[in-house]
Amino acid sequence: MMYQCFIVHKNIVGFFVAAGLFLFVPTGFTQELGKEIFTQKCSACHSIGKGRLVGPDLAGVNDRRSEGWLLKFIKSPQAVINSGDPVAKALFEEFKMVMPDQALSDKQIRDILSFIKKNGISSSASTPPVALAGPVPQHEIELGRNLFQGKVRFANGGPSCTSCHHVKNDAVIGGGILARELTTVFSRMGGEGVRAILGGPPFPVMQAAYQGMPFTDDEIRALVGFLQHADQEHAYQQPRDYGWGLFGAGVGGVAVLMGFYCMIGRRRKKQSVNQDIYDRQIKSE
Amino acid sequence: MDIRSQISMVFHLDKCIGCHTCSVACKNIWTDRKGAEYMWWNNVETKPGTGYPTKWEDQSIYKGGWEKTDDGIALKGAGKQKGLLNIFHNPNMPMIDDYYEPFTYKYLDLIEAPAGDDQPTARPVSLITGKPIDIKMGPNWDDDLSGTQDYARNDPNLKNLSLAEQEAMFQLERMAFFYLPRICNHCLNPACVASCPSGAIYKRGEDGVVLINQNVCRAWRMCVTACPYKKSYYNWNTGKSEKCILCYPRIEAGLAPACMHSCVGRIRYLGVILYDADRIHEVASASDKDLIDKHMNILMNPFDPEVIASAKKNGIADSTIHAAQNSPTYKFVKKWKLALPLHAEFRTLPMLFYVPPLLPVMASLKEVNQSKQNEKLNPIAKVWDDNWLYDTSTEELWGTIAQARFPLKYLASLFSAGDEEKVKERLKKLMAVRIYRRFKTVGDIPEKKAHDVLKDVGYTPEMADEVYCLTSLAKFDDRFVIPAAHREQAIEMLEFTGDKKGSTGFGFKEETMERGL
Repeated sequence: MMYQCFIVHKNIVGFFVAAGLFLFVPTGFTQELGKEIFTQKCSACHSIGKGRLVGPDLAGVNDRRSEGWLLKFIKSPQAVINSGDPVAKALFEEFKMVMPDQALSDKQIRDILSFIKKNGISSSASTPPVALAGPVPQHEIELGRNLFQGKVRFANGGPSCTSCHHVKNDAVIGGGILARELTTVFSRMGGEGVRAILGGPPFPVMQAAYQGMPFTDDEIRALVGFLQHADQEHAYQQPRDYGWGLFGAGVGGVAVLMGFYCMIGRRRKKQSVNQDIYDRQIKSE
Repeated sequence: MDIRSQISMVFHLDKCIGCHTCSVACKNIWTDRKGAEYMWWNNVETKPGTGYPTKWEDQSIYKGGWEKTDDGIALKGAGKQKGLLNIFHNPNMPMIDDYYEPFTYKYLDLIEAPAGDDQPTARPVSLITGKPIDIKMGPNWDDDLSGTQDYARNDPNLKNLSLAEQEAMFQLERMAFFYLPRICNHCLNPACVASCPSGAIYKRGEDGVVLINQNVCRAWRMCVTACPYKKSYYNWNTGKSEKCILCYPRIEAGLAPACMHSCVGRIRYLGVILYDADRIHEVASASDKDLIDKHMNILMNPFDPEVIASAKKNGIADSTIHAAQNSPTYKFVKKWKLALPLHAEFRTLPMLFYVPPLLPVMASLKEVNQSKQNEKLNPIAKVWDDNWLYDTSTEELWGTIAQARFPLKYLASLFSAGDEEKVKERLKKLMAVRIYRRFKTVGDIPEKKAHDVLKDVGYTPEMADEVYCLTSLAKFDDRFVIPAAHREQAIEMLEFTGDKKGSTGFGFKEETMERGL
């Protein structure tokens, strides 16, 4: 009991310390928060001054758009596009996909924006853009394909890609149709974009699926390599199409099973021993 | 030797008048509930007839009971392997139409129908669906219908009889029938217990009553298939199977079961028999012709000191041993050898025994010349030109049994696994007692003949008097010798009764708490 009191007591002290920090919050602290959220939520698709990834480069976005528009758009891009906003429509035309809705508060968005404003020019020079890797080694493509199909498990236990995605490739049979088809994802988003998405999925469903089970760097490299290969080769690929054959096999299987069940029921007592007496009886109406 | 005690029953078929009082008493106490309407834990059948459920004796349909294998016995339609294979799809189950669909009438329509041109009627409605039905069958639908094509002639017991013998049975002049009351046999080797996948059925240690634990039953209904007597029923409302409980709450209170208590003809006897549980497997796997003898052999003499010692070692109370010594069933089955089990060939070793019916057997038909008699009649009197005489005389001693209008083969297939000699022996004894009593009361039979008859069947005059007393004069306490249940001892095995002492009623009064601080 004494010990517990002590812990509570200590926590109260901790609480006051934290409250004090918030009371005297410096501007640098806001930017720290903004940076954290940016890396978590935005950096998968957007860079600041490093060129376009999945979405546009956000350097100088504060100058291009009004804060009100940004707040509205980041919360629900689809709503803004639907409202007929010309800028939003133009963005959609350019990038061919809609940014997912972000569950962020106004304050968090402002933190991000202030982080972008500060880093807009300075950081662009500091880190050189990542050069695209040359031809991917064969064993990496192999590993990527196996990871994609779930033949090799992800080290942290995440679900295999094929549960939701499909890729047109000879080796891949019947991928999922729950999420986007990924055959040309490499040319659409670029290696850096794909890598960023795998590093920190921006899509809510994918986020939930890989919650606490992130990809390792090796896995990301292998998957990107496989997707690049699939993209380059897809024109020559002729994956086997089971089509109606698969359906026919299903029907055939059902017929065989039904036959089997009938065999089981063969010796069943099928009618009452009194049935012939009942059949002769007069029925009302 | 592993002596255990079993409450056993004897039904004296010569005394059964087929009034169904037993069935109704049982129904009113136990099965007058939703889901149990179709059940008759006790029913009375007309023989020859198909019974309830229809053709229950035909195990090629219902696959009940045990069958002999190379190394013992196996359940015919259930058991570990067959049971598992059929557990979701039991193929040999009787359906509701094999029993009958229970019904009632919309009596209220008779008084509540609006005024109209027609008389209101009470329509029959099903007690299962609640909708109006055409009544197809009812309990005892074939009652007294001895000669009918649909019932009597479909009796599974006729299959051992030649066509000519069957025809002879059903000639109008020869037609006869008797009643067969049936309850659960509380077998020594119960197929229902062996078949239950949930282990819900058990044979009570203290008196051998077979019960279904309603909390454990999981409605697999294997017992319905396995019981060759079809005395386990599925309650569609509770989703559990039920069966005759031999009115154990009444037995524990020293009362006779309801069916026996209410029996008008006083045909039922109940008492303890001590048996040797070590030999059950050996007896159940005996060949058909030894079954009855071996069954009788494991029923032990309650006066044998060795048996008593073994019984005491198993914790059987002195009062129970005493009840076994006075047991009317022991006398009928072992001492006088008058009673036989029903369908011993099912190998469940039933502990309900039947004294076979003498009457339809004893009486015979003779062709006599009645022309002289007819000449004496007034010319306008109706004259029968047939010459049959229904003869119940005892002129010829055993001839009538052999030439009986009711073939012994038929009785043998019911009571002695096809062995006519065993049935004949019992019928002779019944007849001998009858002749002896006729000498005593009517006096038209010479003493020597009466005593010769008794000697023939191995009875002494004292024994014959005993049989007569227990058959005709027995009072309630002679017919039902129920041992004390010793429930106080049973409770002491489960809990320390001292804990409960003084804690009945409302307990000690405690002061109520003061309110406030």
